[in-house]
Amino acid sequence: MIIILASRWDSTAEAVAARWAHRSVEVMTPQDLCVSGWRQHLGACESDTSSSDVAVVQRRLLPQREITGVLTRLPWVTDGEVIEVAAHDRGYVATEMTAFLLFWLSRLKCPVLNRPTPTCLSGPYWRAEKWVHVAARAGIPVQAARRDTQSESAANALPPTTSVAVTVIGRHIFGDAHPELLAQSRRLSELAEVALLTVRFADAERGAAFLGADTFSSLDDERFKEAALEYLCKTPAANQ
Amino acid sequence: MTDPDTILLWGLPSDPPIAAVADPLRRAGCPVILLDQDGVLDTEMTLNVARNVEGVLYLEDERLDLSMVKSVYLRPYDSRELPSVAGAAENGAALSHALAVQDMMLSWSELAPALVLNRPSHMAANNSKPYQALWLESLGFKIPPTLITTDPEAALQFWRRHGTVIYKSVSGVRSIVSRVSDAHTARFDDIASCPTQFQQYIEGTEYRIHVIGDTVIASEILSAADDYRYSAEPAKMLACELPGAVAARCRRVARSMKLSVAGLDCKRTRDGSWYCFEVNPSPGFTYFEQATGQPIADAIAQLLMAGPPALQWDPARRETPRLR
Repeated sequence: MIIILASRWDSTAEAVAARWAHRSVEVMTPQDLCVSGWRQHLGACESDTSSSDVAVVQRRLLPQREITGVLTRLPWVTDGEVIEVAAHDRGYVATEMTAFLLFWLSRLKCPVLNRPTPTCLSGPYWRAEKWVHVAARAGIPVQAARRDTQSESAANALPPTTSVAVTVIGRHIFGDAHPELLAQSRRLSELAEVALLTVRFADAERGAAFLGADTFSSLDDERFKEAALEYLCKTPAANQ
Repeated sequence: MTDPDTILLWGLPSDPPIAAVADPLRRAGCPVILLDQDGVLDTEMTLNVARNVEGVLYLEDERLDLSMVKSVYLRPYDSRELPSVAGAAENGAALSHALAVQDMMLSWSELAPALVLNRPSHMAANNSKPYQALWLESLGFKIPPTLITTDPEAALQFWRRHGTVIYKSVSGVRSIVSRVSDAHTARFDDIASCPTQFQQYIEGTEYRIHVIGDTVIASEILSAADDYRYSAEPAKMLACELPGAVAARCRRVARSMKLSVAGLDCKRTRDGSWYCFEVNPSPGFTYFEQATGQPIADAIAQLLMAGPPALQWDPARRETPRLR
């Protein structure tokens, strides 16, 4: 079964699941962590019982060995995901759930798009400055990231709408841009160690400045959905 | 003009580790700047990043060129908890300003070519105890049998199987480690509302092991409590030497996690096995230093004075290990 880990408010996750309906697929949300049944073992002697690890998806128990791939569309669990919990406990519960999901996703042997890091459940959480710095050090022309506490400017603001997007999903690269920009996008996905990345450039021409990147793709394009499914259906070794 | 060997301390002057590290630095005559986090409303900052990382801090009567900073020791608190910000309106200018300064400082700390103790992203693994446990296990430490569950019946079975069991938070949120007792069974149904971590209680002697660069400073903790930090009877602490292989393993853990300063919570069993429960990337070491007289602050100060290693940080280097 393929799992789409998403916010309870994420309608795109439902759309992706519908598109993949010919496969066994379910959407998992933080609400599934409030259901009796999760069992995860680790440490000495417990490795023998780890084959009996159980997850919960759509309020139903699922033997963990039946999970064949995970698409993660959730950077972390927020208070807003656990509104059933008493208000004064929501922050704690959301933090506990994020910590649990980092552990859970990290040790899955199946393809996970993107693999979690301690800073984000889907790839690394890099601020705009880090993306720009990594790109510049890789020899990619960049537009400097500037911030000033005395102005309203924010480096993490969305790039201008006139920018050009390139999306990397596994072995596929999508985007109407010069091949050099496609190659630079691939290079950035390798540096960030992610298989799913949207990269923005100032324009589509050779030498265009890198503006920013995002480890979450909208997956609104049907080709993106197919590429993500292809990645999740491959063996882990094939995705290395 | 900023001194090119400036050492920056970021936090609250009253925070014991900050004060303890500032002291030997000042005695050594180092140019130290303490960025008092509670003065955030009087702090301005600019950040300009491309291939180079440039930043300037404007304090009340000072301009600090961050490219002149050789080393940084960070222990920032959540901006919302600062005395000068607490109670500020959620969407107000004061809180927005404090959060902006905090985020820009964290961003600079990730990228600065200075020695940073420790970079924020490298500290993040501490936000999940079982994630850290996978890491520690891969580096040779033993991990107690552990169950994380939302299933009350599974928790009961685990308790019966292992006899003495403790429970603690999954995240890095500080929680009191407690033994499961009959009194808890009435609350077991609450487990269904959030994954809860149960662990077999390991009998043995506790150790806090500080790794500072290549220096390993170990303290043995004598306490009968499940969690000595909250014991009514103060724990007794003794300076001690570790077996060479264990000290080397602790160095390997810190290096693997890219932590130049780390506090490892360990236990040695009667049969000589070593367990590690947690790696604290921003240890409150003064608690141990005061009890044992071990020179932990001095070791951190020495590291800061030495500055960044010849091998500069490479943002393209692998961020996390493969744990699968």
